[in-house]
Amino acid sequence: MKQHPLCTDPDHGPTILDLPIADGLKMEWAALQTRRHFLGKMGSVLGLAAMASLLGDKMLTGSAHAASTARIAPHPPEFAKAPNFAPKAKRAIYLFMSGGPPQLDLWDYKPNLAKLFNKDMPDSVRGTQQVTGMTAGQARFPIAPSHWAFKQYGQSGAWISDLMPYAARMVDDLAIIRSTNTDAINHEPAIMLMNTGNMNSGKPCLGSWLSYGLGSMNNNLPTFMVLLSKTNPNENNQPVSSRLWSSGFLSSEYAGVGLRSGGDPVLYLSDPKGVNRDVRRKMLDAVDEINHQTYKELGDPETNSHIAQYEMAYRMQISVPELTDMSDEPKSTWDLYGPDAKEPGTYAYNCLMARRMAERDVRFVQVYKRGWDVHANVTGTLPVLCRETDRGSYALITDLKQRGLLDDTLVVWAGEFGRTVYSQGGLTKDNYGRDHHPRCFTTWMSGGGVRRGIVFGETDDYSYNIVKDPVPVRDFNATILHCLGIDHNKLTYESQGLDQKLTGTTPAEVVTGLLAS
Amino acid sequence: MSFSRSLSRKWQAKLLPIASVLVIAILLLVPLLFKLNGKPHADWQQFLGRFHVLAVHLPIALILLVPLLEIAGRYRPALREAAVLVLLFSIVACMGTFTLGYLLAYGSGTAGAGVTHHMWGGLWLTIGVLLCYLIRPSWESGRVPYAYPALLTCVLLVMVWTAHEGGSLTHGRNYLTEYAPAPLKKWPGLGRVEAKDALVPNSFYAEHIDPIFDANCVACHDAAKTKGDLRLDAFNLLMEGGQEGAVIVPGHPERSILFQRITLPHGDKKAMPAEDKPPLKPEEITWIKAWIAQGASPSVPSLAGIVAPKAYREIALPQVGDYSGMLAQISQIDASQGVKLVPVSRKLGDGLILNTVNVAATFNDAQLAQFEKFAPYIVEVYLGRTKVSDKCFDTLKTFTHLRSLNLEETAVTGQGVGKLAGLSQLTYLNLSGTKVTQANLAPALAMRNLHHLYFYNTPAQAAATAQAASAPSPRQVPTRSSR
Repeated sequence: MKQHPLCTDPDHGPTILDLPIADGLKMEWAALQTRRHFLGKMGSVLGLAAMASLLGDKMLTGSAHAASTARIAPHPPEFAKAPNFAPKAKRAIYLFMSGGPPQLDLWDYKPNLAKLFNKDMPDSVRGTQQVTGMTAGQARFPIAPSHWAFKQYGQSGAWISDLMPYAARMVDDLAIIRSTNTDAINHEPAIMLMNTGNMNSGKPCLGSWLSYGLGSMNNNLPTFMVLLSKTNPNENNQPVSSRLWSSGFLSSEYAGVGLRSGGDPVLYLSDPKGVNRDVRRKMLDAVDEINHQTYKELGDPETNSHIAQYEMAYRMQISVPELTDMSDEPKSTWDLYGPDAKEPGTYAYNCLMARRMAERDVRFVQVYKRGWDVHANVTGTLPVLCRETDRGSYALITDLKQRGLLDDTLVVWAGEFGRTVYSQGGLTKDNYGRDHHPRCFTTWMSGGGVRRGIVFGETDDYSYNIVKDPVPVRDFNATILHCLGIDHNKLTYESQGLDQKLTGTTPAEVVTGLLAS
Repeated sequence: MSFSRSLSRKWQAKLLPIASVLVIAILLLVPLLFKLNGKPHADWQQFLGRFHVLAVHLPIALILLVPLLEIAGRYRPALREAAVLVLLFSIVACMGTFTLGYLLAYGSGTAGAGVTHHMWGGLWLTIGVLLCYLIRPSWESGRVPYAYPALLTCVLLVMVWTAHEGGSLTHGRNYLTEYAPAPLKKWPGLGRVEAKDALVPNSFYAEHIDPIFDANCVACHDAAKTKGDLRLDAFNLLMEGGQEGAVIVPGHPERSILFQRITLPHGDKKAMPAEDKPPLKPEEITWIKAWIAQGASPSVPSLAGIVAPKAYREIALPQVGDYSGMLAQISQIDASQGVKLVPVSRKLGDGLILNTVNVAATFNDAQLAQFEKFAPYIVEVYLGRTKVSDKCFDTLKTFTHLRSLNLEETAVTGQGVGKLAGLSQLTYLNLSGTKVTQANLAPALAMRNLHHLYFYNTPAQAAATAQAASAPSPRQVPTRSSR
C-alpha cells in the first residue's frame, strides 16, 4: 500500500525517516512526533507497564538476543567521516583557561608601560568602547604595568614573564598568538563564543563538531572527553558547565564526556555489588531491544544516541579503569609533570591524563582550568595560578614531543578573553586588578600542523588594540579545524533552516601564518 | 520625388565629401583629445564600451561581404548595387564599433601597445571604408580603374591586422599559436612570446616579491591585459617597465615609479592597485622597498633587516593507486575484525590508514600479514600496544607507500628494521616504549628520509643518554624531530 510520506504510522509504509532529507529535519519531525505520540499511546503504555510488573524480571532476563550496537540507522560509510583533505593532526588537546588570563603579565611584553605607572590611559586608545559595569564607574583608568619582569627565550626570542619558567623552556615549540580577539566582554558569552562559535547557547562545541565530522578512532572510549581541574577556593572561579561541551543540535552522542576531578572518574560506571558483567550484559541487551522498538515506533534519532551511549558506557567499564590507572607510568613521567600530578583532579594530573588519552586515540580532549578571573589582587593570585598550570602545560608538550605524538596532535591553550592594561580598583606599587578585555588576548597552539617557535600578531603599546594580524575567534577555530583536515566551510549541519557551522555566518579565514607547510 | 532625387544628386556631389572630411577630422581628433593614458574614467563608458566586444563582429562581416559582392557582381550586376549598400552599412557599423571600443579603453583606463595598435587600426579601417565609398562611383564609371580595388585590399589587410590585435587583447598574444604543431612554431613571428624569466628558487624575489605581484597586480598587468604597457608577471618584464619607462630603479625606491604608485594614498587616482582593489599590506610595501633599495635582484635569498616568514604552501602528498574496487572489502574489515582501515581524506589517492587501537590486545603478526593485499594503498600504520613482533617488518616492507609507522609499546626489538630501508616515503617511525636496542636501531638511523624517528623509553635511548653523559656529542638528545 502506497502511503503519503508524511504518514506517521511506521507499520504502514514509508515515513519521513525514510526520505533522503537532512537529519536535522527528521529530528525536528521526531520532536513533534513524540509529543503527539505521548498522548496517543498513553493508554497502551500504561497497559505495558502493568504487564511488565506482572512478568517481573523474566521479561528482562529472558531475552537471549546477542548484543550489538545501533543497527537501525545505518552509520554513514567511512568516507563520509574522512577529513576533507589530508590532516596534519589526528587529534587535539585544548587547554582552556577559564576566566581570562592577563596577557600583559604572561605573554605580551610591554616594556614602555613601566614609565607610565599610574598615568591615565589615553582616551584615544579606548575610543568609543564600552567597558564592563565593573569598571565603567571608575573615575580614571590608571595604567598598571606588569609586576613581573620578562626575558627572551629560545631561538624564537619570545618574551616570557618570570611567572612561567616552564613555558619559557618550550617557546620554540609554540606558535604564540598575541592577536586573538573576541566580540564578547563577559564570561558567559565569551566562553560560549570560544567553544561553539556563537555567544548564545545551543550550538555544538568544537569537540562535538570534530566528533561529528571525523568520528571516533577508539571504539572503547568517547571521541570527545572533558577534564575539569579542581578549583582553588582562593581564586575567582567562574562557573563552567556541560553546555560548553554540549552537542547542541547535533546528536547527543557527539557531546563531551566529562571525567570527574575526584572519586569515581565517571559516576555509576562501576557495577554495584552483586552485579557481574554477564548480568550487566543481559540487562543492556534487554534495554537495547526495548530501545529499538521505541525507535521503530517514534523514529526519534535520540533513541539511537541512547543505545550507542549505553554500549559506550559498557565498554568504558573496562577501558576507563585502564585509562585512569597510572601505576604503569615510569618515574620519568612523575619527574616531568611534578608532584601535583600524583593528585587526581589537579591541572597537572589532567595534562597527564590528556596525554594518556591522546595515546589511546581519543579524538578531542578539553582540559578546563578555572580561576583566571583576576579582577583584584593580581600579585597575590597570579603566581598561584601559574604554579598550578605552568609545569603541567610544559610537561604535556614535552611528553607528547618525546613520545613522537606532537607530530600529529594539536595542542591549544586559550582563555575566553584578555585583561585590561588599566587597573580595576585601587592601583598600588604592589598590587592591582585587571578587568575583562576582548580586543586582544594571547593564546598559543603547538604540534600537528602548526609552525613552531613563532610569535604571531602584534598589539599596540598598551596591549589594548591589535596593530597586526588580528585573529578573531572564528579564524582561530577555522585554523584548528584546518589542522585536523577539515574545511570549516564544509563541516555543516542543517538546523533551523541554516547550514550551521562552527565558524558561523561571518566569513572566517584559516590563519595560514600559523601553519607549517 | 524629383526633390528627393535632386537632393540625392546634390548630396553626392557636394555634401558627401564635406561630411566625410568632417567625420575623418573628428575621428582623428578623438585620440588627441581623449588620450588613452591608463586612467580609468566613467562607469557608463565602460558599461557601453563592453558591448564593443559584441558589436565588433558586425563590421568585420559586412566588410568581408563587399569584395564578395563586387566579384559576384561581374556575373550578376544587381549584386553590385548591393555592394554599395553594404559598404554604406559598413561605415555606420565601423563608426559605432570604434566609438564603443574607444569608450571601453577610455572608460576602463586600458592602455599599452596592444590597445594603441588596435585603436589606430580601427580608426584607419573606418576611414578606409569611408574612402572606399567615396571613390567607388569613379571606379564604377570607369574613370579611375584601380584605386578602388587597391584601397579595398588595403582595408581588408588593415582589418585582419586590427582584428588580430583585438583578439590578442582579450585572449592573449599566443592564443592562436599556443597549440600549433612544433615545426610551425619555429617559423619567425609565430609562437613568439616574450620570454619570461624563470623564478630563481628560494630567492627573496621568488618567495616574497613575485607572490605580491601575483596576488595584487597581474590581473591588469600581464600578457592578457597590459595596462600602461606594463607587465608584472615576470622579472625581466617588470624591469623592462611600461609606457612611462622603467618602473624600478635599483637602489632607489623613491625614484621607482612602481614604488611611488603603491605608496600613494588610497583614493588617489594614480594609486596602485587601482580602482577599488585593496592596497598592499604595510609589510608588503616594506618588503618591496627593501628589495628595490638593496638592488632589486632576482636571485638574492634574503635582505638585510627583513624577516619574512616563508609563505605557507600546501604540499601535495604522494598519491597511491586506485583502490576503489576494494572499498567493499575495506568497509567489511571494521565490522568483522574491529581493525580500522580508513581513508586519510576524501581524496582516494591520499591512501589508507591501518589502525588497530580497538583490537590492540590481540592483534598479531599473522593478522597483519592479511593486510598485504592492501599494501600499496596503506600510507599510515598504527600498531601501538599490539602483540606484533620483529616479524612485522617482513609484512611492512611490502607497504610501498608507507609514510608513518607507529610501533609504540610493542615487543619489537628493532631486529630487521633495516628491511624498511626500501620504503622511500617513510618519514615517521615511532618505537617509543619498545625493546629496541642501539645496535638494532642503526639501520633506521641510516634511512635518509626518516626525519621523525622516536625511541623514547627504550634500551636504545638509555644507551644514547649514557653515551651523551660520558662524551658529549651533537646527538645527545634521545629523540630528534628533524635532520
